[in-house]
Amino acid sequence: MSRARVYRPTMRGWWERHPAYRRYLLREGSSVLLGLYALWLLAGLLALAAGEAAYQGWRDLHGSPWLFGLHLAALLAAAYHAVTWFRLLPLTLPVLRWRGRRPTDRAVVRGAWVVSVALSGGVWLYLLGGVR
Amino acid sequence: MSESQRITLAVQRFHPEQDAEPRWQRYAVPYTPDMSVLEGLQYIKDHLDGSLTFRWSCRMAICGSCGCMIDGEPELACHVFLRDYAPGPVWVSALDHFPVQRDLVIDQSDFLEKLETVHAYLIPAGERTAAEGTYRQTPEQMTDYYAYAQCINCLLCYAACPQYGWHPDFVGPGALALLQRYNLDSRDAGSELRHAVVDAEQGVWSCTLVGHCSEVCPKGVDPARAINQNKPGSSARYLLDWLRPGRRRQEGSE
Repeated sequence: MSRARVYRPTMRGWWERHPAYRRYLLREGSSVLLGLYALWLLAGLLALAAGEAAYQGWRDLHGSPWLFGLHLAALLAAAYHAVTWFRLLPLTLPVLRWRGRRPTDRAVVRGAWVVSVALSGGVWLYLLGGVR
Repeated sequence: MSESQRITLAVQRFHPEQDAEPRWQRYAVPYTPDMSVLEGLQYIKDHLDGSLTFRWSCRMAICGSCGCMIDGEPELACHVFLRDYAPGPVWVSALDHFPVQRDLVIDQSDFLEKLETVHAYLIPAGERTAAEGTYRQTPEQMTDYYAYAQCINCLLCYAACPQYGWHPDFVGPGALALLQRYNLDSRDAGSELRHAVVDAEQGVWSCTLVGHCSEVCPKGVDPARAINQNKPGSSARYLLDWLRPGRRRQEGSE
Protein backbone atom coordinates (compact mmCIF):
# COMPACT_ATOMS: atom_id res chain seq x y z
CA MET A 1 0.00 0.00 0.00
CA SER A 2 1.43 3.38 -0.98
CA ARG A 3 1.84 6.19 1.49
CA ALA A 4 -1.18 8.45 2.14
CA ARG A 5 -0.89 11.73 0.27
CA VAL A 6 -3.04 14.71 -0.67
CA TYR A 7 -4.37 15.95 -3.99
CA ARG A 8 -3.32 19.53 -4.75
CA PRO A 9 -5.77 21.26 -7.09
CA THR A 10 -4.38 23.42 -9.89
CA MET A 11 -5.48 26.87 -11.04
CA ARG A 12 -5.75 25.80 -14.69
CA GLY A 13 -8.73 27.53 -16.31
CA TRP A 14 -9.57 29.31 -13.07
CA TRP A 15 -11.56 32.09 -14.77
CA GLU A 16 -13.96 29.46 -16.15
CA ARG A 17 -14.99 28.46 -12.65
CA HIS A 18 -17.13 31.46 -11.77
CA PRO A 19 -18.69 34.52 -13.47
CA ALA A 20 -17.33 36.66 -10.59
CA TYR A 21 -13.80 35.84 -11.76
CA ARG A 22 -14.64 36.89 -15.32
CA ARG A 23 -16.21 40.13 -14.09
CA TYR A 24 -12.98 40.76 -12.17
CA LEU A 25 -10.88 40.16 -15.28
CA LEU A 26 -13.13 42.51 -17.28
CA ARG A 27 -12.79 45.19 -14.59
CA GLU A 28 -9.01 44.93 -14.44
CA GLY A 29 -8.73 44.45 -18.21
CA SER A 30 -10.55 47.73 -18.88
CA SER A 31 -7.51 49.54 -17.48
CA VAL A 32 -5.39 48.22 -20.37
CA LEU A 33 -7.43 50.28 -22.84
CA LEU A 34 -7.14 53.27 -20.51
CA GLY A 35 -3.36 52.79 -20.47
CA LEU A 36 -3.26 52.63 -24.27
CA TYR A 37 -5.27 55.84 -24.48
CA ALA A 38 -2.87 57.54 -22.05
CA LEU A 39 0.05 56.45 -24.27
CA TRP A 40 -1.75 57.86 -27.29
CA LEU A 41 -2.22 61.21 -25.51
CA LEU A 42 1.47 61.13 -24.55
CA ALA A 43 2.35 60.57 -28.22
CA GLY A 44 0.26 63.66 -29.04
CA LEU A 45 2.11 65.66 -26.41
CA LEU A 46 5.49 64.58 -27.80
CA ALA A 47 4.28 65.47 -31.31
CA LEU A 48 3.28 68.90 -30.01
CA ALA A 49 6.75 69.37 -28.54
CA ALA A 50 8.31 68.27 -31.85
CA GLY A 51 6.65 71.08 -33.76
CA GLU A 52 3.55 72.15 -35.61
CA ALA A 53 3.94 69.73 -38.52
CA ALA A 54 4.33 66.70 -36.26
CA TYR A 55 1.31 67.75 -34.17
CA GLN A 56 -0.81 68.27 -37.28
CA GLY A 57 0.26 64.80 -38.44
CA TRP A 58 -0.86 63.28 -35.12
CA ARG A 59 -4.19 65.10 -35.41
CA ASP A 60 -4.69 63.95 -39.01
CA LEU A 61 -4.38 60.32 -37.90
CA HIS A 62 -7.68 60.77 -36.09
CA GLY A 63 -9.60 60.50 -39.37
CA SER A 64 -8.95 56.75 -39.44
CA PRO A 65 -11.98 54.59 -38.55
CA TRP A 66 -9.65 52.22 -36.65
CA LEU A 67 -8.56 54.98 -34.36
CA PHE A 68 -12.15 56.12 -33.94
CA GLY A 69 -13.08 52.58 -32.91
CA LEU A 70 -10.21 52.46 -30.43
CA HIS A 71 -11.24 55.79 -28.95
CA LEU A 72 -14.82 54.58 -28.59
CA ALA A 73 -13.63 51.35 -26.94
CA ALA A 74 -11.38 53.36 -24.59
CA LEU A 75 -14.31 55.62 -23.70
CA LEU A 76 -16.54 52.64 -22.87
CA ALA A 77 -13.70 51.01 -20.90
CA ALA A 78 -13.14 54.25 -18.99
CA ALA A 79 -16.84 54.50 -18.15
CA TYR A 80 -16.99 50.87 -17.00
CA HIS A 81 -13.78 51.23 -15.02
CA ALA A 82 -15.07 54.41 -13.35
CA VAL A 83 -18.37 52.78 -12.36
CA THR A 84 -16.64 49.74 -10.83
CA TRP A 85 -13.98 51.90 -9.21
CA PHE A 86 -16.53 54.06 -7.43
CA ARG A 87 -18.54 51.00 -6.45
CA LEU A 88 -15.48 49.53 -4.69
CA LEU A 89 -14.45 52.84 -3.12
CA PRO A 90 -16.32 52.30 0.21
CA LEU A 91 -14.43 49.04 0.75
CA THR A 92 -11.07 50.78 0.55
CA LEU A 93 -11.78 53.51 3.11
CA PRO A 94 -10.98 53.27 6.80
CA VAL A 95 -13.98 53.40 9.16
CA LEU A 96 -15.43 56.89 8.68
CA ARG A 97 -17.58 58.86 11.09
CA TRP A 98 -19.53 61.98 10.34
CA ARG A 99 -21.46 63.63 13.17
CA GLY A 100 -21.13 60.44 15.18
CA ARG A 101 -22.54 58.27 12.40
CA ARG A 102 -20.94 56.09 9.77
CA PRO A 103 -21.95 57.12 6.24
CA THR A 104 -23.61 54.38 4.20
CA ASP A 105 -21.78 52.92 1.21
CA ARG A 106 -24.34 54.49 -1.05
CA ALA A 107 -23.69 57.95 0.44
CA VAL A 108 -19.92 57.51 -0.03
CA VAL A 109 -20.33 56.42 -3.66
CA ARG A 110 -22.74 59.27 -4.40
CA GLY A 111 -20.43 61.78 -2.71
CA ALA A 112 -17.51 60.53 -4.76
CA TRP A 113 -19.52 60.90 -7.97
CA VAL A 114 -20.54 64.45 -7.04
CA VAL A 115 -16.92 65.44 -6.33
CA SER A 116 -15.75 63.75 -9.52
CA VAL A 117 -18.39 65.44 -11.70
CA ALA A 118 -17.69 68.82 -10.06
CA LEU A 119 -13.92 68.52 -10.66
CA SER A 120 -14.36 67.26 -14.23
CA GLY A 121 -16.87 70.06 -14.89
CA GLY A 122 -14.41 72.58 -13.49
CA VAL A 123 -11.64 71.37 -15.79
CA TRP A 124 -14.10 71.38 -18.70
CA LEU A 125 -15.15 74.99 -17.99
CA TYR A 126 -11.50 76.03 -17.63
CA LEU A 127 -10.63 74.48 -20.99
CA LEU A 128 -13.65 76.10 -22.69
CA GLY A 129 -12.57 79.43 -21.24
CA GLY A 130 -9.03 78.85 -22.51
CA VAL A 131 -10.26 78.14 -26.03
CA ARG A 132 -12.26 81.31 -26.14
CA MET B 1 -44.55 16.07 0.57
CA SER B 2 -43.68 13.27 -1.80
CA GLU B 3 -41.18 10.67 -0.62
CA SER B 4 -40.57 9.43 -4.15
CA GLN B 5 -38.64 12.48 -5.36
CA ARG B 6 -35.04 11.69 -6.22
CA ILE B 7 -32.08 13.84 -7.10
CA THR B 8 -28.64 12.86 -8.33
CA LEU B 9 -25.67 13.96 -6.27
CA ALA B 10 -22.43 13.90 -8.25
CA VAL B 11 -19.80 13.81 -5.52
CA GLN B 12 -16.08 14.23 -5.95
CA ARG B 13 -14.25 11.20 -4.61
CA PHE B 14 -10.55 10.98 -3.85
CA HIS B 15 -8.87 8.11 -2.06
CA PRO B 16 -5.29 9.07 -1.20
CA GLU B 17 -4.01 5.51 -1.55
CA GLN B 18 -5.90 4.51 -4.69
CA ASP B 19 -6.56 7.61 -6.79
CA ALA B 20 -4.03 9.79 -8.63
CA GLU B 21 -6.65 12.52 -8.86
CA PRO B 22 -10.30 13.04 -7.89
CA ARG B 23 -13.12 11.34 -9.79
CA TRP B 24 -16.89 11.86 -9.82
CA GLN B 25 -19.35 9.36 -8.45
CA ARG B 26 -23.12 9.67 -8.80
CA TYR B 27 -25.73 8.73 -6.24
CA ALA B 28 -29.51 8.87 -6.58
CA VAL B 29 -30.84 10.28 -3.33
CA PRO B 30 -34.53 10.43 -2.30
CA TYR B 31 -35.26 13.84 -0.85
CA THR B 32 -37.94 15.95 0.77
CA PRO B 33 -38.17 19.75 0.41
CA ASP B 34 -36.70 20.31 3.87
CA MET B 35 -33.48 18.36 3.18
CA SER B 36 -30.17 20.18 3.00
CA VAL B 37 -27.32 19.06 0.74
CA LEU B 38 -25.55 17.90 3.92
CA GLU B 39 -28.51 15.62 4.68
CA GLY B 40 -28.17 14.28 1.13
CA LEU B 41 -24.51 13.45 1.81
CA GLN B 42 -25.50 11.83 5.10
CA TYR B 43 -28.10 9.73 3.29
CA ILE B 44 -25.38 8.50 0.93
CA LYS B 45 -23.08 7.62 3.82
CA ASP B 46 -25.84 5.86 5.81
CA HIS B 47 -27.59 4.00 3.00
CA LEU B 48 -25.56 3.92 -0.23
CA ASP B 49 -21.81 4.17 0.37
CA GLY B 50 -20.29 4.22 3.84
CA SER B 51 -16.86 5.14 2.48
CA LEU B 52 -17.89 8.68 1.50
CA THR B 53 -15.90 11.04 3.73
CA PHE B 54 -16.88 14.59 4.71
CA ARG B 55 -16.80 16.86 7.75
CA TRP B 56 -19.88 18.10 9.52
CA SER B 57 -21.06 18.84 13.02
CA CYS B 58 -23.77 21.36 13.91
CA ARG B 59 -26.09 21.20 10.84
CA MET B 60 -27.02 24.85 11.44
CA ALA B 61 -24.35 27.03 9.80
CA ILE B 62 -22.43 27.84 12.93
CA CYS B 63 -19.61 25.28 13.25
CA GLY B 64 -18.17 25.94 9.78
CA SER B 65 -17.22 22.29 9.17
CA CYS B 66 -19.24 21.27 6.12
CA GLY B 67 -17.92 23.81 3.60
CA CYS B 68 -17.61 22.42 0.07
CA MET B 69 -18.08 23.46 -3.54
CA ILE B 70 -21.70 22.96 -4.61
CA ASP B 71 -22.29 23.54 -8.31
CA GLY B 72 -19.00 25.48 -8.35
CA GLU B 73 -19.99 27.80 -5.51
CA PRO B 74 -18.38 27.63 -2.05
CA GLU B 75 -21.23 26.80 0.33
CA LEU B 76 -21.92 25.27 3.71
CA ALA B 77 -23.61 21.99 2.76
CA CYS B 78 -26.04 22.46 5.68
CA HIS B 79 -26.98 25.95 4.46
CA VAL B 80 -28.39 25.02 1.03
CA PHE B 81 -31.32 22.81 0.14
CA LEU B 82 -31.48 19.93 -2.34
CA ARG B 83 -34.80 21.27 -3.68
CA ASP B 84 -33.02 24.36 -5.02
CA TYR B 85 -30.82 22.18 -7.24
CA ALA B 86 -33.65 20.08 -8.71
CA PRO B 87 -33.71 18.37 -11.12
CA GLY B 88 -29.96 18.00 -10.56
CA PRO B 89 -27.40 16.64 -10.69
CA VAL B 90 -25.88 18.53 -7.76
CA TRP B 91 -22.11 18.74 -8.18
CA VAL B 92 -20.40 18.48 -4.80
CA SER B 93 -16.62 18.72 -4.48
CA ALA B 94 -13.98 19.65 -1.92
CA LEU B 95 -13.37 23.34 -1.18
CA ASP B 96 -11.29 24.88 -3.95
CA HIS B 97 -7.63 25.93 -3.45
CA PHE B 98 -6.96 23.51 -0.57
CA PRO B 99 -5.11 20.20 -0.59
CA VAL B 100 -7.66 17.36 -0.57
CA GLN B 101 -7.02 14.63 1.99
CA ARG B 102 -9.94 12.41 1.07
CA ASP B 103 -13.23 12.96 -0.79
CA LEU B 104 -14.61 16.27 0.58
CA VAL B 105 -12.10 16.62 3.41
CA ILE B 106 -9.48 19.32 2.90
CA ASP B 107 -6.33 20.01 4.87
CA GLN B 108 -6.96 23.32 6.63
CA SER B 109 -3.69 23.40 8.60
CA ASP B 110 -2.36 26.24 6.40
CA PHE B 111 -5.22 28.48 7.58
CA LEU B 112 -4.75 27.47 11.21
CA GLU B 113 -1.06 28.37 11.04
CA LYS B 114 -1.91 31.75 9.53
CA LEU B 115 -4.57 32.39 12.14
CA GLU B 116 -1.87 32.06 14.79
CA THR B 117 0.19 34.84 13.17
CA VAL B 118 -2.48 37.59 13.09
CA HIS B 119 -2.82 38.15 16.85
CA ALA B 120 -6.59 37.57 16.70
CA TYR B 121 -7.23 38.33 20.36
CA LEU B 122 -7.67 41.45 22.50
CA ILE B 123 -4.42 43.16 23.42
CA PRO B 124 -5.38 45.86 25.95
CA ALA B 125 -3.25 48.98 26.35
CA GLY B 126 -2.45 48.07 29.95
CA GLU B 127 -3.08 45.41 32.53
CA ARG B 128 -6.15 45.98 34.72
CA THR B 129 -6.94 44.43 38.01
CA ALA B 130 -10.36 42.96 38.72
CA ALA B 131 -10.98 45.84 41.12
CA GLU B 132 -10.64 48.33 38.27
CA GLY B 133 -13.59 46.69 36.51
CA THR B 134 -14.25 45.47 33.00
CA TYR B 135 -13.17 46.99 29.69
CA ARG B 136 -16.26 48.92 28.68
CA GLN B 137 -17.55 49.65 25.21
CA THR B 138 -20.58 51.42 23.76
CA PRO B 139 -22.94 49.64 21.33
CA GLU B 140 -21.87 52.23 18.74
CA GLN B 141 -18.20 51.26 19.15
CA MET B 142 -19.17 47.61 18.84
CA THR B 143 -20.73 48.17 15.40
CA ASP B 144 -17.25 48.97 14.03
CA TYR B 145 -16.13 45.34 14.24
CA TYR B 146 -19.29 43.32 14.92
CA ALA B 147 -19.68 41.97 11.37
CA TYR B 148 -16.07 40.72 11.36
CA ALA B 149 -16.61 38.98 14.69
CA GLN B 150 -19.18 36.68 13.02
CA CYS B 151 -16.47 34.64 11.25
CA ILE B 152 -16.82 30.88 11.85
CA ASN B 153 -13.56 29.86 10.11
CA CYS B 154 -15.44 27.87 7.47
CA LEU B 155 -12.89 28.81 4.76
CA LEU B 156 -15.48 29.47 2.05
CA CYS B 157 -13.76 32.82 1.47
CA TYR B 158 -10.44 31.07 0.74
CA ALA B 159 -12.18 28.85 -1.78
CA ALA B 160 -13.55 32.02 -3.42
CA CYS B 161 -10.16 33.74 -3.60
CA PRO B 162 -8.14 33.10 -6.78
CA GLN B 163 -5.25 35.04 -5.26
CA TYR B 164 -5.04 32.44 -2.50
CA GLY B 165 -5.19 29.73 -5.17
CA TRP B 166 -2.28 31.33 -7.01
CA HIS B 167 -0.29 32.40 -3.96
CA PRO B 168 -0.83 30.10 -0.98
CA ASP B 169 1.47 32.42 1.02
CA PHE B 170 -1.32 35.04 1.08
CA VAL B 171 -2.61 35.32 4.66
CA GLY B 172 -6.05 35.33 3.06
CA PRO B 173 -9.53 36.79 3.62
CA GLY B 174 -10.62 34.91 6.75
CA ALA B 175 -7.51 35.46 8.87
CA LEU B 176 -7.20 39.12 7.77
CA ALA B 177 -10.88 39.75 8.60
CA LEU B 178 -10.24 38.41 12.10
CA LEU B 179 -7.16 40.61 12.35
CA GLN B 180 -9.25 43.64 11.43
CA ARG B 181 -11.94 42.58 13.91
CA TYR B 182 -9.45 43.22 16.73
CA ASN B 183 -7.85 46.28 15.11
CA LEU B 184 -11.27 47.98 15.11
CA ASP B 185 -12.12 47.04 18.69
CA SER B 186 -12.01 50.12 20.94
CA ARG B 187 -10.66 47.97 23.81
CA ASP B 188 -7.71 46.79 21.75
CA ALA B 189 -4.31 48.46 21.49
CA GLY B 190 -2.49 45.80 19.48
CA SER B 191 -2.76 47.32 15.98
CA GLU B 192 0.93 48.11 15.86
CA LEU B 193 1.80 44.49 16.57
CA ARG B 194 -0.40 43.46 13.62
CA HIS B 195 1.18 45.95 11.20
CA ALA B 196 3.92 43.48 10.27
CA VAL B 197 1.26 41.03 9.00
CA VAL B 198 -0.85 43.73 7.32
CA ASP B 199 2.02 45.50 5.53
CA ALA B 200 3.78 42.40 4.25
CA GLU B 201 3.58 41.33 0.63
CA GLN B 202 1.56 38.30 1.82
CA GLY B 203 -0.69 40.60 3.88
CA VAL B 204 -3.31 42.99 2.51
CA TRP B 205 -1.23 43.71 -0.62
CA SER B 206 -1.77 40.22 -2.01
CA CYS B 207 -5.47 41.12 -2.27
CA THR B 208 -6.56 42.53 -5.65
CA LEU B 209 -10.18 42.96 -4.59
CA VAL B 210 -11.75 40.23 -6.65
CA GLY B 211 -14.41 40.59 -3.95
CA HIS B 212 -15.94 37.12 -4.29
CA CYS B 213 -14.96 36.26 -0.69
CA SER B 214 -17.55 38.71 0.63
CA GLU B 215 -20.23 37.32 -1.69
CA VAL B 216 -19.84 33.74 -0.50
CA CYS B 217 -19.48 34.41 3.24
CA PRO B 218 -22.43 32.69 4.96
CA LYS B 219 -22.13 35.03 7.98
CA GLY B 220 -21.93 38.39 6.17
CA VAL B 221 -18.38 39.07 7.34
CA ASP B 222 -17.24 41.03 4.23
CA PRO B 223 -13.53 40.10 4.31
CA ALA B 224 -12.85 42.17 1.16
CA ARG B 225 -13.75 45.28 3.13
CA ALA B 226 -11.77 44.19 6.20
CA ILE B 227 -8.65 43.72 4.08
CA ASN B 228 -8.93 46.84 1.98
CA GLN B 229 -9.73 49.09 4.94
CA ASN B 230 -6.09 48.50 5.87
CA LYS B 231 -4.60 49.70 2.60
CA PRO B 232 -4.67 53.50 3.23
CA GLY B 233 -2.94 53.08 6.59
CA SER B 234 -0.45 50.59 5.19
CA SER B 235 0.35 52.98 2.31
CA ALA B 236 0.89 55.81 4.78
CA ARG B 237 3.29 53.68 6.83
CA TYR B 238 5.18 52.70 3.68
CA LEU B 239 5.49 56.36 2.69
CA LEU B 240 6.68 57.36 6.16
CA ASP B 241 9.26 54.57 6.10
CA TRP B 242 10.42 55.76 2.72
CA LEU B 243 10.78 59.32 4.00
CA ARG B 244 12.75 58.12 7.01
CA PRO B 245 15.28 55.60 5.74
CA GLY B 246 16.75 55.15 9.21
CA ARG B 247 13.49 53.75 10.51
CA ARG B 248 13.10 51.36 7.63
CA ARG B 249 16.54 49.90 8.23
CA GLN B 250 15.67 49.40 11.89
CA GLU B 251 12.50 47.49 11.08
CA GLY B 252 14.16 45.51 8.33
CA SER B 253 16.83 44.26 10.71
CA GLU B 254 14.33 42.53 13.01
